[in-house]
Amino acid sequence: MIRQLSIFIQNEIGSVAGVTAILKENNINLRAIASFDTPQFAILRIVVDQPEKAKTLLINSGFAVTMSEAIAIELEDKPGVLHDLLQVIADAGFGVNYIYSIVFRDGKVPLIIINTDNLQATKDILKEKGYSVAEQEDIIL
Amino acid sequence: MIWNETKECMSRDEILNMQSARLKKTVSRVYHNVEFYRKKMQQLGLEPGDIKGIEDLNKLPFTTKEDLRDNYPFGLFAVPQSEVIRVHASSGTTGKATVVGYTRRDIEIWQECVTRVLAMAGIGANDRIQVAYGYGLFTGGLGLHYGAENLGATVIPMSTGNTQRLITMMEDFEVTAIACTPSYLLHIAETLEEVGKTDSIKLKAAICGAEPWTDNMRKEIETKLNLKAYDIYGLSEILGPGVAADCDAHCGLHVYEDHFVPEIINPDTLAPCKDGEVGELVFTTITKEALPLFRYRTKDLTSITYEPCECGRTLARISRFKGRSDDMLIIRGVNVFPSQVEAALLEMGETSPHYILIVDRVNNLDVLEIQVEVEERFFSDEIRKLEGLTKKIAHVLQSALGLSVKVTLVEPKTIARSEGKAKRVIDKRKLI
Repeated sequence: MIRQLSIFIQNEIGSVAGVTAILKENNINLRAIASFDTPQFAILRIVVDQPEKAKTLLINSGFAVTMSEAIAIELEDKPGVLHDLLQVIADAGFGVNYIYSIVFRDGKVPLIIINTDNLQATKDILKEKGYSVAEQEDIIL
Repeated sequence: MIWNETKECMSRDEILNMQSARLKKTVSRVYHNVEFYRKKMQQLGLEPGDIKGIEDLNKLPFTTKEDLRDNYPFGLFAVPQSEVIRVHASSGTTGKATVVGYTRRDIEIWQECVTRVLAMAGIGANDRIQVAYGYGLFTGGLGLHYGAENLGATVIPMSTGNTQRLITMMEDFEVTAIACTPSYLLHIAETLEEVGKTDSIKLKAAICGAEPWTDNMRKEIETKLNLKAYDIYGLSEILGPGVAADCDAHCGLHVYEDHFVPEIINPDTLAPCKDGEVGELVFTTITKEALPLFRYRTKDLTSITYEPCECGRTLARISRFKGRSDDMLIIRGVNVFPSQVEAALLEMGETSPHYILIVDRVNNLDVLEIQVEVEERFFSDEIRKLEGLTKKIAHVLQSALGLSVKVTLVEPKTIARSEGKAKRVIDKRKLI
C-alpha cells in the first residue's frame, strides 16, 4: 500500500498552485497528482515522498487534508493490461472508486494507483494473481 | 383618489387630538389586560392616568421582537381568544415564529388601510387586481386581498409561484393592477419581454412592498411595464402591509397616523430624532384590539416629515428606508436573520460554524448563497460524501429559513475572522 493525501480545494483559479507552492517551498517531491472536480470544489489527491510532513504543512496552511491508503500496481506498457487488472477486481466483486497513475519513475514501469471499496482484499487478490504491488518505499527515489 | 379624506387630510391639531384620545384608551385597556405591559409600567412607576395625551407617549416602555418571542404565542394579546378571528406569523430570529392576532375590528381597520393605499394608487372598483404575494401565514396575500375586496375591485388571488399562469391570466382577464414584491414584478416584466407580450397587457398600477427597493427600481418597473408603481410598507407586528404607502408625488410614505403613531429614535441612545434626521422607526398602535403594542422598535431606519404633501394629505411621511439597525435581511420577502443560519448549522453538527451569507439579485430574483468552511474533522475524501453534505446543509437551511439556499463548501480559514462581531453577510443587491 502507498499513502496518499486528499486535499479539499475550491474550484477556482490558482487553488492547485496554492498547494504546490507549499510543497515546493519545503522541497517535497510530488510522485503523482490527480484532481477530481465538481462544479464548485475539487479533491486533489497527491502522492509525495514525505506524506506526514506534507500533511502537517498543508494543514498548518489552512487546508483540509486527509491521509489514506491506496494500492499501487506495476503494469507493463502494452495494450490490454489495465483491462486485465480491472477485470480481476470486478470478478472479485469490488468497486473501483478512482484510478490515477504515476508515470515518472526514472525508467521503471509506471504505477497505477487504485482505490476500491475493499483495499486489503483487493490487494490480496491482485498479489495472488501475480501482480506486483508497490509499497511506500518503492515510490521514494 | 383620497379614499378617506376626513382621516387622511386632518389638520395637525386634529390628528394630535385624535391620537391623544385613542392612546389614553389603549393604555388603560392594555394596562388592565396585558400582564407584560402592566409589569413594565409598574416598574417604571407609571399608571394609566399618567398618560394624559400623545405628548406623554415617550413615557411608555419600548417593545421589541424579543418581547413577542418571550411571550410566544399569545402572551401579549389583549382580548380573550373568542374575539380573535385570525392569526398570522412570521419567522423569528431563532426559529420560533412571531405570532400576531386580529379581532374582527382589527381586520376591518387593516382592510381600510390597504383600501386607502390602493385608492391612492388610482385603483378602483373597475379594476382587476392580481394579488401575487404569498397567501397564508405571511400577511402579504390576505392583507392586500381584503383591502382590494373592500375597495370593490375584482381580486384575482394568484399567490406566488407560477409566473406563466399569472401572465396568461393577466392577458386573458385584462388585469389592470398587481400587488407583489418589486423584484418579482421586474421578473414578470422580463418574462413578458421574452415572450413578446409587453404590449398586450393592460396594467396601469402596481403596489409593491415586502422588501426594500430603490427609486431607480421603481422607474425601471414603470418604464418596462408602462404603469405607475407605488411603495407599500408594513410589518405584521403592527398590522401587515398598509401601515404606510406613497402617493403620486413619491416624496415619502404616508403613515396612517389615525391608527399608528410613528416616532424616530436614535437606536443607540433611544433619544428622539429631529424631523428629517435618520433613525429607527418606532410605532405605537392606538386602535389595535388583539395585539396593541407600545413603541414597537421596527429596526427599520428612516426619517420623518410632518409637512403636508402636495397630494393634499396631511399625514406624516417616512422616507424610503435607509437600512436596518439590526442584521435582518429581507430575501424574496422572507425575513432572514444570520443567527437562524448559525443555529441550524450548529444543530446539524456536521460543519464548521464559520459561514458567510451572500445575497445577490440574479434576473431580478434574490438568491441566497451560503459559504461554509470544510473543517478538517468533517472532511471526507469522497466527492459523493461532500456532495451529500452540501445537499444536507441546503435541506436543513431550507427548512429553517423557508427559503431555498445555494450551498458552497470553501477551504478552511478562508472566511475572514473578525474581532468582535463577525461579518456574516455580503449583500450585493445595492438596495439602499
